[in-house]
Amino acid sequence: MGCPLALCCLLTLLLPLLTPGASMSPAERISQAYDPALYMRKNTSTVLQTYLQCQGSPLSDSGFSAPELQLSSLPPADISFKTWHALDDGEHLSRVQGPFLALTQHLQLMGNDQRDPNPGSPILLAQLSDARLRAQGLLGNMAAIKAALGLPTPPVEDTPGLVPFGASAFKKKRRGYIVTGEYGHWPDRAMRDLALLKAKYPI
Amino acid sequence: MMDIFLCLKQPSRMVDSKRMRMTSNFQWILLTFLLLYLMNQVSSQKKRTPHDLKCVTNNLQVWDCSWRAPSGAGRGAAYEVCIENGSHSCYRLEKNTKIPALSPGDHEVTINFGSSISKFTLNEKDVSFIPDTPEILNLSADFSTSTLHLKWNDKGSVFPRHSNVIWEIKILRKKNMEIVKIMTHNTTLNGKDTVHHWSWTSDMPLECATHYVGIRCHIDDPKFSGHKEWSNWSLLKNISWSSDSQTKVFPQDKVILVGSDITVCCVTQEKVVLALIGSTNCPLIHLDGENVAIKIHNISASESSGTNVVFSVEDNMFGTVIFAGYPPDIPQKLNCETYDLKEIVCTWNPGRPTSLVGPRNTSYTLFESFSGKCVRYKRAEVPTNESYQLFFQMLSNQEIYNFTLNARNPLGQSESTLLVNVTEKVHPHTPTSVKVKDINSTAVTLSWHLPGNFAKIKLLCQIEINKTNSVHELRNITMKGVENSSYLIAVDKLNPYTIYTFRIRCSTKPFWKWSKWSNEKQYLTTEAIPSKGPDTWREWSSDGKNLIIYWKPLSINEANGKILSYNVSCSSDEETQSLSEILDPQHKAEIQLDKNDYIISVVAKNSVGSSPPSKIASMEIPNDDLKIEQAVGMGNGILLTWNYDPNMTCDYVIKWCNSSRSEPCLMDWKKVPSNSTETVIESDQFRPGVRYNFFLYGCRNQGYQLLRSIIGYVEELAPTVAPNFTVEDTSADSILVRWEDIPVEELRGFLRGYLFYFEKGERDTSKMRGLESGRSDIKVKNITDISQKTLRIVDLQGKTSYHLVLRAYTDGGMGPEKSMFVVTKENSVGLIIAILIPVAVAVIVGVVTSILCYRKREWIKETFYPDIPNPENCKALQFQKSVCEGSSALKTLEMNRCTPNNVEVLETRSMVPKTEDTEIISAVAERPEDSSDVEPENHVVVSYCPPVIEEEIANPGADEAGGASQVIYIDIQSMYQPQAKPEEEPENDPVGGAGYKPQMHLPVTSTVEDLAAEDDLDKTAGYRPQANVNTWNLVSPDSPRSTDSSSEIVSFGSPCSINSRQFLIPPKDEESPKSSGGGWSFTNFFQNKPND
Repeated sequence: MGCPLALCCLLTLLLPLLTPGASMSPAERISQAYDPALYMRKNTSTVLQTYLQCQGSPLSDSGFSAPELQLSSLPPADISFKTWHALDDGEHLSRVQGPFLALTQHLQLMGNDQRDPNPGSPILLAQLSDARLRAQGLLGNMAAIKAALGLPTPPVEDTPGLVPFGASAFKKKRRGYIVTGEYGHWPDRAMRDLALLKAKYPI
Repeated sequence: MMDIFLCLKQPSRMVDSKRMRMTSNFQWILLTFLLLYLMNQVSSQKKRTPHDLKCVTNNLQVWDCSWRAPSGAGRGAAYEVCIENGSHSCYRLEKNTKIPALSPGDHEVTINFGSSISKFTLNEKDVSFIPDTPEILNLSADFSTSTLHLKWNDKGSVFPRHSNVIWEIKILRKKNMEIVKIMTHNTTLNGKDTVHHWSWTSDMPLECATHYVGIRCHIDDPKFSGHKEWSNWSLLKNISWSSDSQTKVFPQDKVILVGSDITVCCVTQEKVVLALIGSTNCPLIHLDGENVAIKIHNISASESSGTNVVFSVEDNMFGTVIFAGYPPDIPQKLNCETYDLKEIVCTWNPGRPTSLVGPRNTSYTLFESFSGKCVRYKRAEVPTNESYQLFFQMLSNQEIYNFTLNARNPLGQSESTLLVNVTEKVHPHTPTSVKVKDINSTAVTLSWHLPGNFAKIKLLCQIEINKTNSVHELRNITMKGVENSSYLIAVDKLNPYTIYTFRIRCSTKPFWKWSKWSNEKQYLTTEAIPSKGPDTWREWSSDGKNLIIYWKPLSINEANGKILSYNVSCSSDEETQSLSEILDPQHKAEIQLDKNDYIISVVAKNSVGSSPPSKIASMEIPNDDLKIEQAVGMGNGILLTWNYDPNMTCDYVIKWCNSSRSEPCLMDWKKVPSNSTETVIESDQFRPGVRYNFFLYGCRNQGYQLLRSIIGYVEELAPTVAPNFTVEDTSADSILVRWEDIPVEELRGFLRGYLFYFEKGERDTSKMRGLESGRSDIKVKNITDISQKTLRIVDLQGKTSYHLVLRAYTDGGMGPEKSMFVVTKENSVGLIIAILIPVAVAVIVGVVTSILCYRKREWIKETFYPDIPNPENCKALQFQKSVCEGSSALKTLEMNRCTPNNVEVLETRSMVPKTEDTEIISAVAERPEDSSDVEPENHVVVSYCPPVIEEEIANPGADEAGGASQVIYIDIQSMYQPQAKPEEEPENDPVGGAGYKPQMHLPVTSTVEDLAAEDDLDKTAGYRPQANVNTWNLVSPDSPRSTDSSSEIVSFGSPCSINSRQFLIPPKDEESPKSSGGGWSFTNFFQNKPND
């Protein structure tokens, strides 16, 4: 039941990428992007749980949490409300696009990292792959909304920059934890931005 | 001194002894002082000359000697040292001198200093050998392995001889230089300067703390007899890790052996608050600064993601992953073979899991030593214990291969070897493309494809030939291998028109392994003429006019094709009748014959041709001496035996049929050779419990004679029904039972007898369960005479219900039971005796009592009824007429209370003879309802109260109650009653108000009726007081008082009667009017009779 639903959702996410030339109103674009973002937000905890279960104790212990950990290559989703509220439409979208690009790349990196210590965990690898595709879909939706709003769409910066490929196993696990954690936060932020735009551009 | 000490310790000796001892001690003290003086003089003399000569050497070639200068000798004083060493040689030196090493032995050394001369005896034994302090050339570290590498020079060139050297190396850690380890290292001096290397692996990563290393040595020259001493410690050299400001944990991604110990440290400038191994908290070992370490002892095998070690600082988390596992096990069951002589496949089992995956997984390399070629095994993504395999391309002109399989992982390596001649290890592929072609009806060609080049070897192939409903046949074929992989053989000795299934597998010679079986190939061989005629039998029809010819269809092996039709012909000397083209599947033909001796011939035909004719004679030879026998089979068949009869020249035929079928009956037949005397008749149609008729025919002179007729069962079963039985006759002590036969179909075996059970019991109460359990109260009669159809059961009790059960049995078991309840008739003699005895006793008692009373009547009268004087004759009581006359009211009657001594009530029970019927079928339904019959009770109560007037009252209601009731009341009238009503006869007026009235005769309209409801009739059926019940006061039987004025009528002059009723009604009677008291009944009489 979950698999066909996820497939439909992925198709919905990737639809704007497949049909870039389709002429839709900004409101329709925003509405089209909102539901997949909502679905994405609901399923992020699954990826985190699966990931932690594959990393061994204490990461796999119930209640494990280290919210203070951060990655320099992946900005946190937290933002002051005042700042966030003062953003214009383009900034709302642009400030989400960059981190999502970083997320897609980190998720791909995680996929490579997890092949060695967890070759027997195809579920995790599949979930990471799905998460990356969803993030890419949202990125496409954001670009489509910007285009529909007539906003400039400069190329998004490659935020991860230097990725320490020779990282130790523990650093990979730590990095993966931060990425999957942020993967749980950024869709929420994106959904709030889309909700704001949705209210601003009703159908 | 010891003596002094002892003296001091013992001060309490005798005085004489003390004096003597004190004198002796004094002498000792004087001597000591003298000695000290002399020594001082000698010392003073020494100090004026060079003294304390000491020599040391650090290379065994030169001795460095020194002495203490004489007092007054200043610096730069010159000495002349002369050594007597075989030759006299003198040196002019200053304070210290280096002299060549002297030969072993004493040497005289003279040191002249001015005018003073000192002489010493110098021996090698007095010389100390102290090597030079070693110098560390280099100290390096391999941080990845936590190994220190030390390099130094032994400077062996300075030593003249080869010597053993012990190097002592100390490792110190941390800034406070805690000694971690001191180890020795042995080398040999070989006369040349040699640089030595020494490595040491730290249990703690070298990054964790600064490590210091120092070294010293001890040279053990066997020829040097002097003191050999350690050199001084070298200068310490240290190794430290230059860290940046970032926190790091060491070691990273370490792979270690399961069960080993490991130290993990965190180099940090922040305070570590927590360290975890997995989820286990670990105590911190503080190093320099904020650096900390933890120790893990006896680590267990890691899961695939490794064992996490985590250090937590205030707002961050650092850590490392340790992979604990095992080195690779020796590859097990290494086997190399080839499928096609082109490629060798080697398989093995990895053995014990290493717990290491991913890049740490075991890698395998297969090396062939003769060719020098090797192949590597690509690691599986998923760790598995299943067999691994590697393919090695065969080399031309090489048959023998020496394989070495090497397994390696970060913890070690192992290997397994195998020398193999591949031509002897051929495991062919599965043969494919199996094809079959006809040669004739009994032979085919079989071809298949076997991949591989087997031109140099021989193949051994196995062909499995399966025929329907037949055992598998295996044929081994040896053939020369070919290069083009195609093989062809002929398979013969097959049956015509038979479906065969072929499959093939191959191996090589010498045998190693069979290939897998090829796919099955099914093939139908061509037809041939039927090999024999059908099995034939004949039966005359019931009217004897027609001969019915039966034949069995030929088996597949005999038919050799599809049987299309049959030809039947009957021939005698005179004529021949034929029935041709009887199409299959008809296997029966009827021909009208005139009882002549015919020979019947049956021929089966298929598409290829006709079978040989099957012949049988129609004539049946009569047999007058024929008995019907019984036989029981063995479950699946039945064994029939007969005596050998030389007259039977052809064969025997046994035919059989179900006995319930009508004639002519034929289920099947069987022919056996004439020399046989027994046969087992088996048939799928046989069913257990079914009776069959078997007929044995013997063949004589082309005619068949019925020899035996047998009825039998292949297996006997228990009857399915119980025999129907009825009760023919019943008496007081016996029952006659008759039953019927059970039909053969329901008997299901030969009847062996009946079992008859009986016990006392009534329907709904008697449950004759567990008939076979041997209950003692159940009587059983086993009737083995199966012709018996009746049974009389005797010695029974009269008027008793019996439970009868009858069941039949065969050797197959007991049949179901049929039961019946029967009540025997009543025993009339006993009844009469039971009535007569009590009547006779009562009469005798009455007569005796009457006689006694008559003879003693005077005494009784005097005692109980004395003459009462007439008060009118008493002068004392005479009143004056004037006073008494006209005032009759003044005449008073004084009534004294009368206390009765006893009350007796006699009551006779009505005896209603119980009518009991003989019950045959339903005893319960036809049984009279005894519960409704309440037998009248007769009570006898005797009361005594003087003065006594005996009165006998007949019970007028006796007819209604069904029996006579006699009540004798004594003391029911007061002494004044005769005066009040002297002629009154109460028995003539039982309803009248005077005197005592039995309760049975009370008028219905009395007040008692108002009180008693209809459902209380039982309670009122017994004794009823004659007074108004409402006026009773039952407080005490001694205090009944009648205060009601109306009671004067009812209880006229009879207070004693009122009083007596308290005794006439016993409390038990009020509660249970049915109580029989002292009575008895015939039912009880019979019931008390013990059971037989």
